[in-house]
Amino acid sequence: MAEAVEKIKLLKSSADLSAATYQIHDESHTIGNSLRWMLMKNPKVEFCGYSVPHPSENVINVRIQMYDNASSIDALISALEELDKVCEAVEDGYLASLREDKFERWVERT
Amino acid sequence: MNQQQGAPPNANAGGGGPGYQQPRTEMEYLCADCGAKNEIRARDPIRCRECGHRIFYKKRTKRMVQFEAR
Amino acid sequence: MPSQTFDNRRLVGIHAERVTNVSNNEFPGHYPGEDHSWNLEKFKKNLTVTVQRLSQHSIDFDIVGVDASIANAFRRIMMAEVPTVAIEQVFVWNNNSVIVDEILAHRLGLVPLNVDPSLMKMREPDTTPTDQNTLVFNVDITCERNPKAPKGTLNPHELYINSEFLSSHITWTPAGDQEETFAAKRPAPINPNIVLAKLRPGQQINMELHAVKGVGKDHAKFSPVATASYRLLPHIKITKPIPPSKAEKFQKCFSPGVIKIDPRTKEVSVDEKNVRNDSVSREVLRHPEFADSVELSRVRDFFLFNVESEGPYAPERILPEAIKVMREKLAVIRQAALALREKTTTVDTDVVMADS
Repeated sequence: MAEAVEKIKLLKSSADLSAATYQIHDESHTIGNSLRWMLMKNPKVEFCGYSVPHPSENVINVRIQMYDNASSIDALISALEELDKVCEAVEDGYLASLREDKFERWVERT
Repeated sequence: MNQQQGAPPNANAGGGGPGYQQPRTEMEYLCADCGAKNEIRARDPIRCRECGHRIFYKKRTKRMVQFEAR
Repeated sequence: MPSQTFDNRRLVGIHAERVTNVSNNEFPGHYPGEDHSWNLEKFKKNLTVTVQRLSQHSIDFDIVGVDASIANAFRRIMMAEVPTVAIEQVFVWNNNSVIVDEILAHRLGLVPLNVDPSLMKMREPDTTPTDQNTLVFNVDITCERNPKAPKGTLNPHELYINSEFLSSHITWTPAGDQEETFAAKRPAPINPNIVLAKLRPGQQINMELHAVKGVGKDHAKFSPVATASYRLLPHIKITKPIPPSKAEKFQKCFSPGVIKIDPRTKEVSVDEKNVRNDSVSREVLRHPEFADSVELSRVRDFFLFNVESEGPYAPERILPEAIKVMREKLAVIRQAALALREKTTTVDTDVVMADS
């Protein structure tokens, strides 16, 4: 499987991409739901929803509709970037808490 | 699923005519009771030489068998 | 710990036969006059991640202030997309034990190996194995009678030599550069005492095993965790005083340690440190005398994670590995989206209006 399929395919869309459906390959609810949530946090997004069209196909469809003819692909890209920052913040918080070493340590018998 | 590899143990080259293989008359079997090896030929009595038991097992193939660990 | 209060919007109501206020609606435009658009600074201010307990096998940590979709993404990735190394192919030369080849091969696949997955590459399907992507193990074990067995014993371990095929009998055979790459920790099963088959005199097992790197969504044997789960923090609000005569009955409606009773006044209160241990059984709502005195709920953005590591990663390493995988996925999709934007803005838009 040497990148035979493109990662994102544009399904139905308006000419200016203010409303579009993107098909993301090899992804599932893991990315679908987080991405949907982050897109919905964007005030320029009128509607966002995702689906796994069929369990035997490893793809998700993400529908984005924008207010004021804004570009949905710009919203998609910025949502991906913001999700990355969320991951970074959670990781930083977690590592800081580990370093603080204020948690209970116990020995588990197997 | 699994596949067997390697040549058959008694592929007998050049024996008989084309496409013909000499049928092997004696085979080693294992006694189900005492585990002793018994050579049994066609039309021999099916009886263990060591203990007289009448049930035998065929030996496992000597070929390698491949499996997926799933 | 001071008594914790939560904004009602953060609480998922739990009643005798239903749950209420289940979903989070903090999106732009939902609440008039409120701004719920994405704000990283605000998010960072509200976010708390706290490690609670750590043992050599498991970790408990809290993530507070994230949406369920984010917490769920981490949980899913920890189980299904953090890579590990496991036995994938079994070449059987001989096995006359009572366990058939198929079952034994399946069992071998499930044995956790101590191999650091970062030292190996993924093997693409139907490609030849190399020292970069495959580890070779061998098993050669024969069971015999023990000539020095104590008289009269019935213990198979004394009667026979090699009466059990254990995970410790799986030995690594280095190939190519592997001797140096894996010098720090020789590849082997993590637990040497897993019984894979029982043997009796005359039975033997002779196999070659190929281990590869993979992810849990392909097969559960590649999952680095035994469990990775979260639940929401329980919240108990006592709205009316409980009469001292009923205090103990009230306390017994909850998990041990959740409800405190003042030894002098018999006044009941919630132990904020221990509420997390409550099972939220709703037993209290079955008693008419208590049903109106208490409000049960869970905090929607307060995730109590429990992760049990069962692979090469220390338990505290699992979440950072999952986050790494998540960020790699986001980066790949972002690159594809940038390429798509490039294509759609340079080429005439009519061309890209592909109907599916």
